[in-house]
Amino acid sequence: MTCQELSELFELYALGALEAEERAEIEAHLARGCETCAAALANALTVNTGILSLADDYPPPKHLKRRVLHAIGARDQGWGWGWVWALGGAVALAVAVWLGVQERQRTAELADARQTLLQVSGERDRLTAALQFLSDPQTVPASFGKGQTAPPRGYVFLHPQMGVLLIASNLPPAGEGKTYEMWVIPKGGAPRPAGLFQAEGTRAVHILNGPLDPATIGMVAVTIEPAAGSATPTMPILIAAPVGT
Amino acid sequence: MRVFVQRAAMLILKLLPLGLAYGILQVGLRFAGDEDLARRLQARDARAMADLYDRYGRMAYSLILRVVRDSATAEDLTQETFLRVWNRVQSFDAAKGALGAWVLAVARNRAIDHVRSTTGRMQAGAIGFDTLDNPKYFSVSGTDALSIDRVRRLKSAFEKLTPQQRQVIEMAYYEGLSQSEMAEKLRQPLGTVKTWTRSALQILRNELAGVAIA
Ligand SMILES: [Zn+2]
Repeated sequence: MTCQELSELFELYALGALEAEERAEIEAHLARGCETCAAALANALTVNTGILSLADDYPPPKHLKRRVLHAIGARDQGWGWGWVWALGGAVALAVAVWLGVQERQRTAELADARQTLLQVSGERDRLTAALQFLSDPQTVPASFGKGQTAPPRGYVFLHPQMGVLLIASNLPPAGEGKTYEMWVIPKGGAPRPAGLFQAEGTRAVHILNGPLDPATIGMVAVTIEPAAGSATPTMPILIAAPVGT
Repeated sequence: MRVFVQRAAMLILKLLPLGLAYGILQVGLRFAGDEDLARRLQARDARAMADLYDRYGRMAYSLILRVVRDSATAEDLTQETFLRVWNRVQSFDAAKGALGAWVLAVARNRAIDHVRSTTGRMQAGAIGFDTLDNPKYFSVSGTDALSIDRVRRLKSAFEKLTPQQRQVIEMAYYEGLSQSEMAEKLRQPLGTVKTWTRSALQILRNELAGVAIA
């Protein structure tokens, strides 16, 4: 058979629908490294995939994903990678809806928070966690940086089980060998270290996991500290977000 | 006000990702991120498996259900499909391969193997379907992205085939019959079956290639 004749059989070849002689002829021909036929075979795979995708669409039962993951010894961790952008958008939207967009002048800030989330959305886990924060009615929001000239801006969210979510933008560079450190300051108490984080450009999303009682927290703060972090905050305080006001 | 806002936020959160995810699922059979996904699977990242399922689970399940026509069996075989992909992904060429094409081929072949083994219709000399989804076959560059638009056009082209053309395509793709098996089943000369199949594939191939059908 000529390459042209062979190429008309590649779909059936890939499906295993050819007789032994035809199959053998194709395999021998492909084994000789014919580039025309290699390209035609790739195209045939595309055709097959297209035809196989024409089967009527039925959503699988929800538990099937868990079963599949269980079969490989994993568990369903929720969101797939493909959801990241959807998730980023959802989080941003939730921020916007959450805050109610009561005043027009807030629009710029919200756009900023949204930008921040999209910029740092490379880590799905943080986004997923952020989404959990924002979708839970127990979450207590706070904001910071309003009314200052060029301050870091953003939002803090506290949740009794999940902890603290910080979304910040307009951060000054931490500097060589330095890092940002978040602090949770109880009402009438000393600042407690709440994790180190890096910025991406001037933006950052940071989460402190763990239970806390938002009602007992007076403030969430951020300082710049040596790379290993500090036990007490180094002045000046970069971000100070009063909680529950 | 606060409560209302929270409710609204939750509602949107519930609705939006679902809608978008379905869009993502339907948009293409070969995602820009497939290469990265294949590499993560090769690195035994269990979360990559969740992503793989999110991308192709629905399509694989629908295809298997079309072949076996029983939802409980389709669930079992979908699980087997993904397990098989997980176990064999090391032989897949992440840079060149078409992950979606491979997953669908595995799904199809698992389903047909199942039907064959339960009906005992496994004739001597038949090619084992498990050799057909060797990942090496799907590691050829040039397999193409299939946009939803192209798939839609393919579907309308498929619907315009003659009943005989449609029948042989369905027999080949969903029943796993060889051309001589089709000839026998349809009580038609082998040459006739070959003509139907060839012309049907020509039409579908041209449709996917964007060539107007003369
Ligand atoms: Zn050739």
